[in-house]
Amino acid sequence: MKRIISVLAVLVMALGLMSGCAKDDTAKTDSEYVKDKGTLVVGITNFAPMDYKDENGQWIGFDADMAKAFAESLGVKAEFKVIDWNYKINELSDKGIDCVWNGMTINDEVLAGMEVSNAYCKNAQVVVLKSADAEKYNTLESVKELSFVVEAGSAGKKTAEAQGFSFREAETQADTLLEVSSGTSQASIIDLLMAGAMIGEGTDYDDLTYTVSLTEEEYGVGFRKGSDLAAKLNDFFKSSYADGSMKELANTYGVQESLIAQ
Amino acid sequence: MFQTVIIALNEGFLKTFEIFCVTLLGALPLGLIIAFGSMSRWRPLKWFVKTLVWVVRGTPLMLQLLIIFYGPGKIFGYNIWGTGDWGRNAAVFTAFILNYACYFSEIYRGGIESIPRGQYEAGQVLGMTKPQIFFRVVLMQVVKRITAPMSNEVITLVKDTSLARIILVYEIIWAGQDFIKSSGVIWPLFFTGVYYLLFNGLLTVLFGYIEKKLNYYRG
Repeated sequence: MKRIISVLAVLVMALGLMSGCAKDDTAKTDSEYVKDKGTLVVGITNFAPMDYKDENGQWIGFDADMAKAFAESLGVKAEFKVIDWNYKINELSDKGIDCVWNGMTINDEVLAGMEVSNAYCKNAQVVVLKSADAEKYNTLESVKELSFVVEAGSAGKKTAEAQGFSFREAETQADTLLEVSSGTSQASIIDLLMAGAMIGEGTDYDDLTYTVSLTEEEYGVGFRKGSDLAAKLNDFFKSSYADGSMKELANTYGVQESLIAQ
Repeated sequence: MFQTVIIALNEGFLKTFEIFCVTLLGALPLGLIIAFGSMSRWRPLKWFVKTLVWVVRGTPLMLQLLIIFYGPGKIFGYNIWGTGDWGRNAAVFTAFILNYACYFSEIYRGGIESIPRGQYEAGQVLGMTKPQIFFRVVLMQVVKRITAPMSNEVITLVKDTSLARIILVYEIIWAGQDFIKSSGVIWPLFFTGVYYLLFNGLLTVLFGYIEKKLNYYRG
């Protein structure tokens, strides 16, 4: 009997807490909260080409510039705050930041703890090879026979191991491109974002291209759970994708290949 | 852990030792040929060899490795080394042998030119041919005189083998450094120093012994 009473008591208290939260939310939406204080605090880490500092110490990058534009559309100023990536959800709920906008991979943990926008960018581990070989090796089955080179300790190496490719390790992703370009290895596995910036026309690796995507992930922007800003950002994505400004920005930072249509 | 590291380092050192041996085997005779070239009375050959020595001694070995290995494919569009281990090793051997042969050639030249003219003349008086004079009279004296500077180069070669990692040949430094990326421990990299020290200690003793053995005549 005692036990039942105590369980009931805990339940009642829990309900009380939850309704308390709900009341707060209805009283003032997240967008009103941000507008009142006049700043949108953006949680980031230093992560080129999404968020990084230019030579004057200003935060730039595809994500940073999009965040500035979104803040402007709300009539507030964007403020950047470097966070510990492991505590991004806590930072949000403690109102230390208003959003996480830093090439954040959408996964179950993120979806459970945040209100996440639509995916706007995709990243993947891609197989880079000579453009001349691209037609012959455009399926997972066909690239298996190639001799790979991957960065030691990278996601690309993990992928190569998981797929059972034969590979050699190099110091950096950039070194792997030199190997492929000079023909001393047949293929490399690097980030799609990096591939967009480092190979193809206008680079010294214009003889390279990428074909197969091995592991795909999508980037989204995280807001406080229940925030109405996520829906507002989705609308903003739609309008800036439609008028081409998002695409233009993506070109500036070489992420045009990874942009997701809104 | 210690055992895993030692096994990996031993494997790396085997590659280091292989580069060392093949380079010496190739560079010692090639250096002599280059030395003859740089002492040739035929001007074009002399200047060609002098230019070669200037270029090879005037640029870093690391750069030579990169250009020899990646140059054919990247600059000329035809990769001569293939995609396997064999081509990679061949490129390392080529670069190291060429580089060390050029340094050796200058040491040989110094040694050969230090032999007094009178000995050649004495040989001619005795009716010996030019090759006979060189191989029977001059060469052994040259070997004696160049032992000390050669030991310098040989010891430098042991350490220079670490440059092979720039074209992804996994010698001992690579093996040590791999532990930083894979397990976040740095001591295996520092520990490679022990291998170098022991091997060079052995070489120092060996050269000391050779010098002593050759110390039969002072003239």
